Amino acid sequence: MACGSTYLWAGEATWFCCGNAWGSCGSENTGACGTCQSSKNMAAWPNLSSACWNITRPDLCGENMPRRACGSVMNIRHQCSGATVCVTLADCGPRTQSFCGEATCCSGTCRTNRVVDLTPAAYSAIGSLSSGLLPVYIYE
Amino acid sequence: MGHNQESGGRRLDRRRFLTAAAIGGATIVGASALGGLDAEAAFAAPMPSLDPAIRAAFAEGRVVAVNRGVLDVAGSHGERHLIQLTNATSVWKLRTTTAEAIESGDGLYARGVTMPDGTIAADAVWVNIVNVHCTIRGIAKDRLHLAHGNHELVGRIVPATTTASYLGGALTSDLSRMRIGQTAQVLGAWRPADNHIDIARLTLGH
Repeated sequence: MACGSTYLWAGEATWFCCGNAWGSCGSENTGACGTCQSSKNMAAWPNLSSACWNITRPDLCGENMPRRACGSVMNIRHQCSGATVCVTLADCGPRTQSFCGEATCCSGTCRTNRVVDLTPAAYSAIGSLSSGLLPVYIYE
Repeated sequence: MGHNQESGGRRLDRRRFLTAAAIGGATIVGASALGGLDAEAAFAAPMPSLDPAIRAAFAEGRVVAVNRGVLDVAGSHGERHLIQLTNATSVWKLRTTTAEAIESGDGLYARGVTMPDGTIAADAVWVNIVNVHCTIRGIAKDRLHLAHGNHELVGRIVPATTTASYLGGALTSDLSRMRIGQTAQVLGAWRPADNHIDIARLTLGH
């Protein structure tokens, strides 16, 4: 399935490790879909299932994003640089409700709330891992 | 300059740039031109677009050996990578640092371009970097005791380095507002010697 260009959402992207072998990532498994690997372009979405939604609760931050299933693809675009990466959904996350109101900015424009979590491979394709958060647009 | 940079479109030919850097014949303007920015710079300035015609290579794993600027890395799934460091490679290990800080036994993520001989010329290497969602279970002067899923972690507070953001606010060196039970995202550098984490940044939630 190819990544599309229809706007879906905007917000903050963060990163997480899965299926890895070192550090605190070594205890992580392959995610809710059983396929997640840090070295692949994959992502976690807050509305992967009703069980996932009950953990992430983006609605408590005013984010009511639609449900998408394991294997769905999305195009993640850095708000300012335009760098993009095509990702496949492989896990549930991020825990949006824990950081309501958090904003990340570039060029004077901010995006609010964590709406997608990327593997290190995917995140590093559009930004530096040491930044921790990036403002992004999401397309499908 | 040994690479192609359009001043208006800000698009870079990554392969040509890194190839030139790897053989040492280029005048290097700095790894930030390819996005290897530290956290503060990443927030402050937009990153130039990476050339979409050249797919970024990515590697992760443990450093087995360091030999004349080449990292021999064992991946998590049995693969092996040779990562060529150049004079344009951005290296992060708790903070922006130099290639000399990389040691055997370290874990890493690396981004770059695959060269004709199969090595990866790296524009950025993040050594031992971790970014984990935790709950604060204990607070001491020099460390935090954290719950990460079903695991316990120790996060070491590094003087003049560790910063915190409270409820989405600006980064501060004031760590006095943390409390037990608080949710925290911990970005830091794993320490292979004791399995602790040196904390670069705490993002504290509700």
